[in-house]
Amino acid sequence: MSDSFNLPLRPLTEKRERPDPLPVEIAQINAQYGSFRDVTEDSLRAKIEADKNKDPWFDKEENDNASADEDTTERLDQLYKRRAAITQFALQAHMEAMFALDFVSLLLSKHTPRQAEMSMSAYLKQVAPLGSLNSEIVNPPPKPESAARDTKNVSRGWRLQNFNSAASKLLDSATRLEAEVASETRYWDEVLAVKEKGWKVSRLPRERQALGVQYGFLEATPIFRDRGLAALRRTNDGSLILDKGLIPLKARTVRVRVRSRGQITGCSKNQPASDNTESIESRILQARDTVYEEELFHELVREARILGSQGVTTRQNLVQFPVSEEQEVLLDLIDSDQISPENDVVSSNEHAVVADALAHAIRILLAYAHRQNLRRRTQLPTPLTPKRRQTPEYQLLRPVMAYLQHSSHVRWLESLLNDINQILKSAGITCDFTATPFSSLSLRRTISGLPKVEALVQEFLLPYESTFSAQLVTPQSSFRVKVRTNVTTPPLGTHYEISVNMPQYPDVRPPNRIGLQDEAASILTHFVLLDILTAITHAKGSSVKGIKQETGHLLTWQAAYPHNGELLALSSTGQHKKMKVSLSRHELTVRVYSIRGIDGFGKPAVDKTPAMRSQTWKCDGTPDQPNLMDFIAEVSKE
Amino acid sequence: MHELLLFASVPAHQHHELLQQLAGLTAMQPRHRLERRLIFKAYRKPGLINTRVGASQDLQGNEMQRLNKMLNGGMFYTQVVGPVSEADFGAQSSAASSGDPDAPMSGTDTGTNFEYHPYSYENQPWKLEFRDIPEAGTRSAVTTRLMASASLPKGDITTPMNAWGYSFVTEYVVEGDVFILNDIVIYLHRVLHYPAESSGSHEPRRQLPPFQQMSPLEKTGSYVLQASIAVQDGGNQEMMKTASQHLFGLREQLKSAVRLEQADRLSLDTRAK
Repeated sequence: MSDSFNLPLRPLTEKRERPDPLPVEIAQINAQYGSFRDVTEDSLRAKIEADKNKDPWFDKEENDNASADEDTTERLDQLYKRRAAITQFALQAHMEAMFALDFVSLLLSKHTPRQAEMSMSAYLKQVAPLGSLNSEIVNPPPKPESAARDTKNVSRGWRLQNFNSAASKLLDSATRLEAEVASETRYWDEVLAVKEKGWKVSRLPRERQALGVQYGFLEATPIFRDRGLAALRRTNDGSLILDKGLIPLKARTVRVRVRSRGQITGCSKNQPASDNTESIESRILQARDTVYEEELFHELVREARILGSQGVTTRQNLVQFPVSEEQEVLLDLIDSDQISPENDVVSSNEHAVVADALAHAIRILLAYAHRQNLRRRTQLPTPLTPKRRQTPEYQLLRPVMAYLQHSSHVRWLESLLNDINQILKSAGITCDFTATPFSSLSLRRTISGLPKVEALVQEFLLPYESTFSAQLVTPQSSFRVKVRTNVTTPPLGTHYEISVNMPQYPDVRPPNRIGLQDEAASILTHFVLLDILTAITHAKGSSVKGIKQETGHLLTWQAAYPHNGELLALSSTGQHKKMKVSLSRHELTVRVYSIRGIDGFGKPAVDKTPAMRSQTWKCDGTPDQPNLMDFIAEVSKE
Repeated sequence: MHELLLFASVPAHQHHELLQQLAGLTAMQPRHRLERRLIFKAYRKPGLINTRVGASQDLQGNEMQRLNKMLNGGMFYTQVVGPVSEADFGAQSSAASSGDPDAPMSGTDTGTNFEYHPYSYENQPWKLEFRDIPEAGTRSAVTTRLMASASLPKGDITTPMNAWGYSFVTEYVVEGDVFILNDIVIYLHRVLHYPAESSGSHEPRRQLPPFQQMSPLEKTGSYVLQASIAVQDGGNQEMMKTASQHLFGLREQLKSAVRLEQADRLSLDTRAK
């Protein structure tokens, strides 16, 4: 290869000794142009120019132009005439061919009469008997020397011409091949570069000559799996193009937005497009991302359809689900260059983090679903039955919704308990609230036989559970709230399970499962109220010490109607007192009335007398307020 | 349940290459599988046959007829298959030295000094696999046979099998890799023999010899490629056709690598003479 050698392709034209051609040429010029006097350089140049411009078919065209002027009847006439002429020529040709056939047949009939007879015309058979013509080879007379030389020259010229054309054809194809080799080299270099990056390059299944690159996901739904293969085609100059067939080239992506009170308050960020969009690598990456995003959206819509009962709505290109009363999440598939559409402006970035987290979460969940598909695919298959197995919807929206719903409930409950705690604290009561949100998640748990990643994601597919517990004022009283959110299996939604331990009211049991926030709130405040009442009835022993010296004896409170928050203190002097305690999320109020007697039904007839004392504690905690026990002691004085 | 099969013989030198090709075709990593296979033979228990031939007045109930048919029908060899792992092999060497008296001993076993070791015969799960002789006279180019599988209790299997009228014949090990392609199970395997046993034991082994001592049945070490597909309802012609078409599709795809073909019917005869 190193030492290239040159092969002369064009025939060498040797200059031959010729007889001086001048006299011949002079004679020719005289014949062509007349006297030499008329032949000037100018006239010759003009002639050359004229020859150059003249079209070889010019004469004919002139005729045609002339005939075009004739009108249609004449043209029709001419057409018929010409046709007749053509027919005549054809007939003549036929006749001549028949004559030739007859001649040859007659000639052959000497040797093979049977065969020759078949091709003879009837007329010839009549007039000439078979085998009446013979042929024999005669030696032609020797050709004159000049004729032989002419033939030789002509054939030599022909050969030269053929060599020349062959040589130029070869040279042409050599240059073409060279260009082809260069572009082919470039193509293969680029294909190799793609392969070295780790992409799977293979033959296309349908088009066996073409190469393709596999960038899709093997475990995706078949339509998206098949789209993960694109042909690597060569342009004329050898650069690589990614041919995805009919699929549009645009990059698309799923966008997550959070809308609160009709305003977009968060939008997931697009990953920045790679800077050199022209390189084949980035094209492949973009194609891969797009196919992933489109599959993601497809699966989101598929899942959203079965979640109609849970408030998920779908439009043509939008999936929407509510998180709470005033917040909802919108998912749509957009072109990635269309970053912020003009119609809905992002009013704040309050929930941008949430939107981003959701965007990441659904993608992780899709990848998890792909892994599950692989797992399912490589299990031993069940026997064939006519019923086809339906692929279940992936869990993409459900875990996300469950998480959002759960955390909103947990946050609400936490704030409720905090408020109550604040109120109690300002009233001088200490309770002990502990909250463990998402207590069901244990990220350190490992499931044998599952890779770490899958075990991690699986945690988030289980029902969420958070627990809250509180030690109340009275010893041994406590309650415990479990918040469970379940989106995949019924019972759907979030519910509260409250368990109470109150020795004073052993028959008080909360309902099994509470679904509404208000209900849960009222039950919890009720328990705290009952507990405060218990504390007040027990208060005497503990708080008495400071005041004992002054008064001598205090009233004892008894819970008359604990569920209404009413306490009664009976005094030996007949000056009974009644206390009404009410607790809400915002305040704790204690009112003390004095009553004169108890009516026949044991109901104190109070209502006409104005409130004697009243005290309210709010969660902001005014500093110079007496604490509840002091207040009780105060009002307990007779 | 019916099973449709195609077989091919794979020489040892092609094994690695074919594994790669199959991994590419099925887009999955091979699942290595080691199985102990025990062969049991059915025998007729004396005294169970009570055919009352000729008594036309004695109308047999449907149930009775079925029972008789079952009892007097053909006798078959069946296999009991238990998955094992490579670590289970050769575990006996450690067992011989460590005499652990607290190990769960099996009461029935008295002859061998069986001790606790990584391979526990008592916890060996088993599966009963019944395969009929392939159907005769089918025009299709696949082997079709009736099959049934059932899970069996763990541990010592000879006692229940004896109670059901099966006696232990012999055992061997199958080593191979499994691939799944849609509904087709591709099993590239070979049969391994235990090292020559000293005494003709009529019990399944309680320990396994070191894996290196196992010798392939086929001396050249060649493998068998088995492509199978199970059909729930063998009477459903449509499904049987679909299944065999799937197999033919696979045969076409593997044409350049191996030649999958129907097995000789009589070589898969499981009837006990």
